[in-house]
This record gives sequence, structure tokens and C-alpha cells, in this order.
Amino acid sequence: MNQQLAGYAPTPVTARMENHGRTMLKVAMATGQDLYARTGSMVAYEGFIQYEPNPPAVRQIASQWITGEGAPIMKCSGDGLLYLADYGADVVVINLDNDSLSVNGTNVLAFDGHLTWGVERVKGLAKFAGQGLWNVCISGTGWVAITSRGTPIVVDCGRGEDETYVDPDALVAWSPNLKVKGKRSFKASSLIGRGSGEAYQMAFAGQGIVVVQPSEDSTDRLRVRN
Amino acid sequence: MAREFQRGHKAKISDLTAGTDLYVGVQIAGPGLTFDISCFGLDANEQLSDDRYFIFFNQPKSPEESIQLLGAQAGDTESFRVTLDRIPANIHKLSFTATVDGAGQMSQIGPGYIRIVAGGEEVVRYAFNGSEFTTERAVMLGDFYLKDVWRFAAVGQGFDGGLEALLKNFGGEVAEEEPAAPQPQAAAPSFAPPTQAAAPAPAPPFGAPPAPPAPQAPQPAPSFGAPAAPAPATTPQQMHAAPTMAAPLAPHGGTVPPPAPAPAPFGQPGQPPQFGQVPGQAPPAPYGQQPPGPYGQQAPAPYGQQPPGMQPPGAPQGVPQGAPQAGAGLQAALQPYKETATGQRWTPQNQQLMRVDLTMGGTPVLARQGSMVMYQGKVDFSYKGAGFAGRVVGNATGQEMQLMRCTGRGQVFLAEDGSHLHAIELQGDGICVSAENVLAFDESLQHEVRRIEGHGIPGGALFTMQFQGTGTVVVKTHGVPVVLPVTPTTFADCNAVVAWSAASQVIISSQVRLRRNAYPGHSGETVNLQFRGAPGNFIVVQPYEV
Repeated sequence: MNQQLAGYAPTPVTARMENHGRTMLKVAMATGQDLYARTGSMVAYEGFIQYEPNPPAVRQIASQWITGEGAPIMKCSGDGLLYLADYGADVVVINLDNDSLSVNGTNVLAFDGHLTWGVERVKGLAKFAGQGLWNVCISGTGWVAITSRGTPIVVDCGRGEDETYVDPDALVAWSPNLKVKGKRSFKASSLIGRGSGEAYQMAFAGQGIVVVQPSEDSTDRLRVRN
Repeated sequence: MAREFQRGHKAKISDLTAGTDLYVGVQIAGPGLTFDISCFGLDANEQLSDDRYFIFFNQPKSPEESIQLLGAQAGDTESFRVTLDRIPANIHKLSFTATVDGAGQMSQIGPGYIRIVAGGEEVVRYAFNGSEFTTERAVMLGDFYLKDVWRFAAVGQGFDGGLEALLKNFGGEVAEEEPAAPQPQAAAPSFAPPTQAAAPAPAPPFGAPPAPPAPQAPQPAPSFGAPAAPAPATTPQQMHAAPTMAAPLAPHGGTVPPPAPAPAPFGQPGQPPQFGQVPGQAPPAPYGQQPPGPYGQQAPAPYGQQPPGMQPPGAPQGVPQGAPQAGAGLQAALQPYKETATGQRWTPQNQQLMRVDLTMGGTPVLARQGSMVMYQGKVDFSYKGAGFAGRVVGNATGQEMQLMRCTGRGQVFLAEDGSHLHAIELQGDGICVSAENVLAFDESLQHEVRRIEGHGIPGGALFTMQFQGTGTVVVKTHGVPVVLPVTPTTFADCNAVVAWSAASQVIISSQVRLRRNAYPGHSGETVNLQFRGAPGNFIVVQPYEV
């Protein structure tokens, strides 16, 4: 039995955040290097790690996000190895090198505590379903892990003159310097209930990247369970 | 999702895995035989122009550490770590070879394999056995080669001479011709801790854990490279006479440099920040300037095996902050997911995402409503009514399959629920696709809706779309599908069948057994579709019953 399972043992730690397979994130924790992670994303840990849901610092930064139930982020501190996952979504590890990235709230998995971050509501567009489209803007130098349902794709926005339009349900992350606006493709035909099915898009213009997942499943599974 | 390769199979690495940090494991064994497994880094002319890229037991890594020898682990006789994006531009091919050391020939070997593991998952395996060889004494197992992008080929090519002949074949030089001493194969740098007690925690080796710790190693006194647990690391470890070797050798008989205080974060005892680097040591020095170790090379750092005494209590706690292989920064991290443009109308971006360039070809595309995840350019989406004969009715409740027409100039990215997408290009032939599995198609294709009725089919009938003409249909499947040839006895579950070639005939076969049906909760597998057709027809079945 061990023979078959042996292939899934953890690999040696080489970096703060690493993928274990496609869908699991391994974080090497140490004292003084706190981590913010989605509440409920922890699947396993080794060592002495403490979790503080909805810590004061988060409450301050994410005050907008809080709708009475608290921001879905917990502070993890301690020493050891922490394994995070989000219901089998692909995990992408990014080492920010003085970059910034705006990530859809449901697609944030974890990020270093020392990074500068803030929560903002996407301007010009209120998603009809759920709690609206919140995004977490993270900048600085450090590690960030985001999730995507299926292998994501990264598109350079400033390549052509045309704007890039994204289905809000499939949007994962984008460069904060892009200009964002909501677009409704209303037509006469859609008014009589025969739309193309793609009624709202987000338009991005400028120089930067957009990360999109191959699925329009934007359910926040971690929150649904809470 | 490991793919089994046969001799001669080739694939792009990017099709196998998105990662570039690969683990290559080789298993080869035969009664009474020992093997040298090595990796040749060859230039564009298939020559070993730089012998620092001959990775073998005496030279366990290339100068920039893009290729590292890891030793026996996890059932592999030998293993390598290959970081494709760090391989210098002049290296065009990595050839993995196994040679018999001493007497013996390749026909004596038992079943073996070469496999690639990425991110903890095995992605490819090429298995071979002795019956494929005769008197050869060496075999080229597999190649990574650069042809626009890195690709992998299962070679399985025997070679008559031994290691020296192989080396000469690649243009290398054999430096000394001493009679081979007992090969350090048995003492390959073992990643498994010599004694488990020495390591405060099990040392997870790269790629895969040791199932039995270093099965091939019959434990020579102090194992090469890995300091025996309790012994001070400064013991000179010269024990093997120099075997035949090609690489330039630094002076023998050095000592392992006294290790500096190693960072000892909890859970990663003594693990070096980087592979193959002793903690506390300077970053990888250029080859030749490393402090002399046994055999002139810095022994690969044994993971998790630093004698406990080496870590001063209260050592500074730290987390390895090593940059990822691709380099730091947002761009580097997202590089594997970049949009790929090939200049074709339909381009799969990955298994789950399809890009269609409407500026090419000019015909509009019909796609399932809601399948657009992104578009660039000026694209119009409009409702595609059931103008064509026979509504596409999804089920008996009269719900239509909703299509939209994409027109304009630009690129549209289509995906749905992360299902796998397959672009099928039709050139005058026909295909039937279950209506639920159609994602998009060129409007230039003729399509008609067919209805397969049968008792027991959910909804009363199975709706299929038959496509004919020239163009592309994108079919989605949940999971990796199987393509079966149509034989006289080909059956498929009506819920799992995705598509079939239009020339095959479909028959409903109901296995009605009264006695079975009399039970509540019978097997349920009663309605099947049987396919009949001339050889050459095929059906596609997904591992998912809708």
C-alpha cells in the first residue's frame, strides 16, 4: 500500500509557498512570518500553527468587505508546514517582486502577512448574485497563492487597441493599473428575453494582465460551508 | 494521469505538465547487474560539447544546477531533477542513458521504466524490459529535446558498447582508463537517511519519497555523499578508487567544509534552501571552484540528514525564501499560463480553454450560451434562434439548447465548467455529438439534430447533433475521454457517450431481464447504445454519466 501512496509524500521545502500537485498549496510557516489565508482552507498542518479568524488588523483593512459576518480571512502564525486547498481548485503560486495584483475575493487562497493589501469593491459593477464583486488588491514583495477552477489563462491586455472583456464569473485576477468598467451588452433582442446569455462583462483597458479561469463557477465554496 | 509511452512516442512537455521543474526517475535492474544511469546534455549537433553537462555519479549536477542527480529513491534506481527553464540555451537535448557496469547485457534486465514526475504527480512513464534488447550493453532510454519547445521522446535504443563507447559516440573524451573499481552505484548519493533516527523528521525527498529507503544500496560503510548520521561531517570520505570517468576531476581527498549554522525551521530540519546545496554554504559556485569534497564535487546535500549536532540549539528560525524556479515576480509566476497564439482559427489554450480567432476564416461561430469567458476585440454576441430545422431540444420538457452567434473581429475564449475541450476538425466527414457535449462550432458546418428514442433513456430520447462539412466542432467532456473503434460488440452507456463518427449506426440495446428488474434497486445499466459500422469508425466516451 505504501508503494502506491508513497508518490504523494511532500517534497522538501524549497520556498515559502509551493504547489503540492495541482490543487494543494504547501506553506512553510515560521514565527514572525504570518500568513493570511481564507477561512476554512486549511486541510492539514504539521507543527505548531495557530489560527485567528477575523483578526483586528483584517477587520480594519477589510471593513468594507465585512457584511456582519466578518471577513473570510484568518491569520495563521507559528512554525510548521501548512497545507491549504479550496475544494480541488487549481492553485497558482505567485512570488510578487514589488508587483501588485488585484484578485477576486473568492480566488484568494493565502498571502504573506507583510504584504500591503486592501479590499475594494469593483467600481462600476455590482454583481447581481451573491455579495457583489469584491477584490483584494495585494502589493509588495512576497508570496501570494490564488485559486482557479481549471487551468487559468493569462492574457496581456495592452496588446491590441481593443479592450478585453471578461465574464465576471470567470475572472480571477488582474493588474490593478488596468482601467475597469462594467459593460452590459444589451440589445433590443435581449429585452424580450432572448439575450445571448452574456449580458454583463467587465472591460479592461490599459497595460497589464488579466487572469481568467476556464469555468464560470464562481461559487465561494469556503464561505458556503460556513 | 500518467501517460504510458511506447518506444518512439513523443510529446511536448507542456502538453504533459505545465511545470518545468521535473523529476525524472529511472528503474532498471537485472540479476547480478549494476547500472550506471547518466544524463548527457548535448548541443545542437548532438555532441557533448561541454562535459560539465554529462551528469553521472561523479558529477551530480550541472553548473547552474538545472540538471541534478538525486540518487535512488521511491523505487527508482536513479533519479534526476531537471529544471527545463534553467537549462542554458546551448543545450538542445538531454539524453538519459543506462549502461551495464561490468559483465552482462541488456537482454538480462527485468522490467524497468523511465518516468517523469511533476508537482508530485507522475505524468509520463515509458516502460521497457529485457526482451526488447539483445547483447547491447547500453541503452538510451529517453530524451528531452528542444524543438521549438522542450519535448520528451521515449527512445529505448540499445547501444553496443558500454559507457565509454556511449561517451565517445556523443563526442566526449574518456579521461582515464583505470579498471573500474566497484562502482559507486551501490553508494549513490542516497537521499534516504542512513538511519532514520538521525533525522528529527522523515526527510521527504524531491519528487517522491523513499518507499524502501534506497533499495539498491547495500550500505557501504559510510555511504558516499551522505554523512553517516552520527559521524562528524568532516571525516574524509574518500573510499572508492576513482572509477573510469570523463569529467574533469578536482583533487581527491578533500573534506566536507565545516557547515555553518543551518537554519532549522520546524518541520524542515536541516533542509537546505536549495537542492544540492549544503545549508550555510555560499550560493552555487561555478563548477570547479567549489570547495573540494569527496571526488571533487560537492556532495549533494543530504536532505534532513544533517547530524543533529550541526544545528546549534536556538539556531535562527527561518523559512527558505528561495525564489521559484521560474524566477521571482508576477510575470514569471504566470508565464506558464500565458495566452498562446498560433495563428490558427481554433487554438486550445489548455485542456479546458479554447480560443477562437474570428478574424481568421470570417465565418461566425455558434457557441453554447454562457460559454464565453473572455473576449478581445470587437465581437458581437447575438441570440441564435432555432431557425434551423428541428429545434435543438435538450430534453423532453422542451428546453432548448441555447446557442449564441459570435461575429466580428477578435478573439473569443470559450470554456465551460472546467470540462476538457477537444477541437475536432472535419474535412468533409461527419460526426454525431451528443447535444449536451457540443460547446461551439463553425457556422459553416451543416448541422442537424437527430433524436434517438428508446425506453429508459432519461427524458425519453437522446438528442444528438450531426455535423457535416468542413470546419471545427468543439466537444467538451468531463474528464479524459476514451476513443473506441467500432466493432461488432461495441456498447456505450447513453449517458456517457459523447460522440461517434456519423457513418456508424446506432441501435438501442436494452438488456431487459424481468427478474433483474423485479428487484428494487437493480443494477440500472439496462439501456445501452450499440454501435455498428465499418472498420474505421469510432466512438468517444467520457468518464462521467450525465
